[in-house]
Amino acid sequence: MEKRKDRYDTPKKKVALDVTDLNNFTYDMSRCIKCKGCYWVEHTYMPGINFSVRCPSNYWNDFDSYGAFGKMRIGLAVAEGRMEWTDKLLEIIYADPLCGACDVGCKRNLDLEIGLTLEALRIKAVKDGAGPMPAHKKIAKNIATKHNQFGSIHDNRKKWVTKDIKVAAKADTIYFAGCSASYVNQDIAKATAKVLNAAGINFMLMEDEWCCGNTLYSVGMIDEARELAKRNVEAIKKSGAKTLVTSCAECYRMFKVDYPKMLDISTDNLGFKVVHFIEVADEAIKKGSLKPNKPVDIRFTYHDSCGVSRLCDPWTPWKGERGWMGMVSPSLKRRRGTMGLYSQTRNILNAIPGAKFVEMPRTRENAFCCGAGRGTKEAFPDLANTSAKHRLDEVKHVSAEVLVSACPWCKSNFNQAIKENGDAVKVMDISELVLASLEI
Amino acid sequence: MSIQKQAYNALEAVVGSKYISDDPVICEGYRSGPGGYESGLGYERVMTKIPGAVIMPKTTEEVQQIVKICNRYKVPYVPYATGFYGPRSHCHVENELLIDLKRMNQFEIDEKHFYIVVGPGVIYSPIQQEAFNKGAYVVIGGGGAQASAIANLIGDGWSPLSHRIGLPHRRILGTELVLPDGELVKMGSLAHGDDPFWGEGPGPDLRGLLRGFTGLRGCLGIVTKMAIKTLPFQPEPLIPTGISPNTALALPQKRVKWVNYQMPSKAAQVKAMFEIGKAEIAGAVTKVPLFWRAIAKAECKEEFWEIWGKENEDTIKNFFIVRVLLIGYTSEEQMEYDENVLNDIMKELGGIPRPTKPSDESWLKNADSAGMWLMCGSYVSVDYIIESLSQATVHGEYYAELKRKYTPPLMPDYGDPGWFQSFELGHQGYSEFLVYWDQDEDTTGVDHFYLETSKMNIRERFYTSLLGPHQPLFLTGPKYGPNYHEWLLKVKNEFDPLWVCHPPVPLAHDDFVNRAEWMKPLKDWESPEKLPMPEWK
Repeated sequence: MEKRKDRYDTPKKKVALDVTDLNNFTYDMSRCIKCKGCYWVEHTYMPGINFSVRCPSNYWNDFDSYGAFGKMRIGLAVAEGRMEWTDKLLEIIYADPLCGACDVGCKRNLDLEIGLTLEALRIKAVKDGAGPMPAHKKIAKNIATKHNQFGSIHDNRKKWVTKDIKVAAKADTIYFAGCSASYVNQDIAKATAKVLNAAGINFMLMEDEWCCGNTLYSVGMIDEARELAKRNVEAIKKSGAKTLVTSCAECYRMFKVDYPKMLDISTDNLGFKVVHFIEVADEAIKKGSLKPNKPVDIRFTYHDSCGVSRLCDPWTPWKGERGWMGMVSPSLKRRRGTMGLYSQTRNILNAIPGAKFVEMPRTRENAFCCGAGRGTKEAFPDLANTSAKHRLDEVKHVSAEVLVSACPWCKSNFNQAIKENGDAVKVMDISELVLASLEI
Repeated sequence: MSIQKQAYNALEAVVGSKYISDDPVICEGYRSGPGGYESGLGYERVMTKIPGAVIMPKTTEEVQQIVKICNRYKVPYVPYATGFYGPRSHCHVENELLIDLKRMNQFEIDEKHFYIVVGPGVIYSPIQQEAFNKGAYVVIGGGGAQASAIANLIGDGWSPLSHRIGLPHRRILGTELVLPDGELVKMGSLAHGDDPFWGEGPGPDLRGLLRGFTGLRGCLGIVTKMAIKTLPFQPEPLIPTGISPNTALALPQKRVKWVNYQMPSKAAQVKAMFEIGKAEIAGAVTKVPLFWRAIAKAECKEEFWEIWGKENEDTIKNFFIVRVLLIGYTSEEQMEYDENVLNDIMKELGGIPRPTKPSDESWLKNADSAGMWLMCGSYVSVDYIIESLSQATVHGEYYAELKRKYTPPLMPDYGDPGWFQSFELGHQGYSEFLVYWDQDEDTTGVDHFYLETSKMNIRERFYTSLLGPHQPLFLTGPKYGPNYHEWLLKVKNEFDPLWVCHPPVPLAHDDFVNRAEWMKPLKDWESPEKLPMPEWK
């Protein structure tokens, strides 16, 4: 083929979506244009002067360095060895719930891998001996010794299972309750199990459930997180379950996205299907096996938890080359957060009789994260608190009495902020709302 | 690097320790490149620095105090609203203070008198939504929905909607400006009282001085407040639909509608725009580069090149589109009337209607400027002019011809003459020429092209917009005036005798050419051996 004169014959560079090497993302870091699509609510959906941003990190601290656009510049300096690890650098990298708002915002126009870059930065921080934060090390110790985030007694993990809950010894479905619902937000585990029972879905529990490792992976402790992933995946395969159900958005994201990422396989090759309670309930309502008939007299709104929305597109490993004009080959299907459980959730919420569902100004991929996730609340409680209070302002703006979410970590964080504010808002998990609408 | 300790302490006393920092990590976040407007070009590499410190004032009074301290301690500073405008809005000298204005996000809207008052931290899309809520609208400039309204309006501030709404100077009702020495000047109707409706103030109006033709990029002070006129819109809601990246505003088709026409020739295209203006119909009339359509269709960069690779010089040469936005401002009947008039015009000129989506992806609320970087990674609107309709279209063709010589590194676009449209109901024509490249390639050709456009404009007698702060002043000034450079430097010296405000603008491009070896072969104009400005070490 004749060489075209109107373009360079650019040498191709190898590149992979591999977060263990920050250099894979130098292109992404160097192409940030400061449009701040990572920060503002997508302009088509911009609700007005109030509630106009979607980045908890840059909402908490106004300096550009706390936004993804600042972090891309800082990340490049780290990758090129121009910046030493300091307390301020660690704060900027870790004071961030990695909620994915920046990633979907950037992929509105530019397709830069912002989320993976931020993960790779943390992995490098750990590899360089600078990260994670002291609070994270404590969690890591808890997970290593007690197999849960909190350092609670491992044997108490299944204490949430009450007599009115039917758990099968063997079933196609396995319910992974996660640390929060097992120890702190047991109402969520109970509600999930009861709804599964009501829908006629037989489920079993893991013989010995361990933490999913969300915090480990999220703070860059990839070696520890990978070991946990291997252990959990093997245990589930061994159980014979075909479907894993979670009620926690963070566990869901871990199993569906970050486990395959760490194990260098696609989500489809995990050996079992990963679903969130939302998907199960939506399907059961559609099929008629779950009948929300009991009126629930509340005015409520819904908070799209990040792990079940913009962060949960399935994972496919990719490696290839980048050449002229930055084009990559083989073709890469970008994860843009379009496969979030947005419509499934609304199907459920609109099916609750007697209740008035009102949307907040920022919804779906534009939702403002509660600020608790991925190691943030433990290391930067003020950020988590500020974010939750800001989101609660939005709840009050639409005059909702109840805030529904789909993640126990969101629930805990909102509840704490409500307590401090003295607000009259009640927080419910979506499983609890569905349970309240069932005549059982 | 950081600014003097005494100055830092004084500044900290103004805003508090939470809103100032000289930490290297904080300052690194304010680096101009490597991505963004003019990314990877020589100007960015040679002329930009990381700030010595960053400060975030909340009020005009704080800005005044900061600027006075900068004068006292001779600390150079640059105002910064969102940082989107690439190297020209970032620090240019060592130990410079970057004044980040994002916390100045005050907003008020007067529904009855159709105006808004904003601070520099307020961007366009929230303004537009608030205006929509009150039955009004504004122009979201081509800079994008994410641009600070103030920063955009003192520079550019137009879009296809300018066909009806008009140029920015007709919509800036009042401006509050902190001069480079800290003195406060209120211009337009903000000069007296708190009612900016009328738009005129007593005495000489300095708004033109502040703005020049397309702004002076922050070298003559800091605008801390602006009153902007809004215009009546139609009342039906525009509903956001879709999930990112495929989002759009669903349009109420009886009140708002985009229509496309394929015209038989360039002459017919220009004539159609002229006739639409003459008939005083439509909210926007435009012709955008063909590759923008490929951007809109493509799911990703690779798909863009697949689509665009099918085009060639002939397909581009024979593509004459006119895209029209019809708005039923007063009623459905008015919309119907406008559409009938448009159809009559098109029938007469041989325009063939083309299918369009019943939605708006760009211009009403979201001006998608960020998409400009998708194809190549680097982009700049190298120039724009406001001329008559017939002159404007010729301008783009000259640019396209010059561009051939510099392709590559510039993106192959098969001679597309750029963006062309009607302003102020056809009384003016607008031409904007955009170029794209990959910053990882050798960008010398882009730097050369940029400068050569000035020479071309002088040679062909086109009046270019960016002659002041974007080209060597000693090249363009003598040719456009003939004393434009002297006048501008006198203004600068009068208002900023210490040159603390964003040095070395307006001589930054002269400085760049002097400092960049690869630019020297192009320097064939007279300039002082030492540029007439203080040196900043």
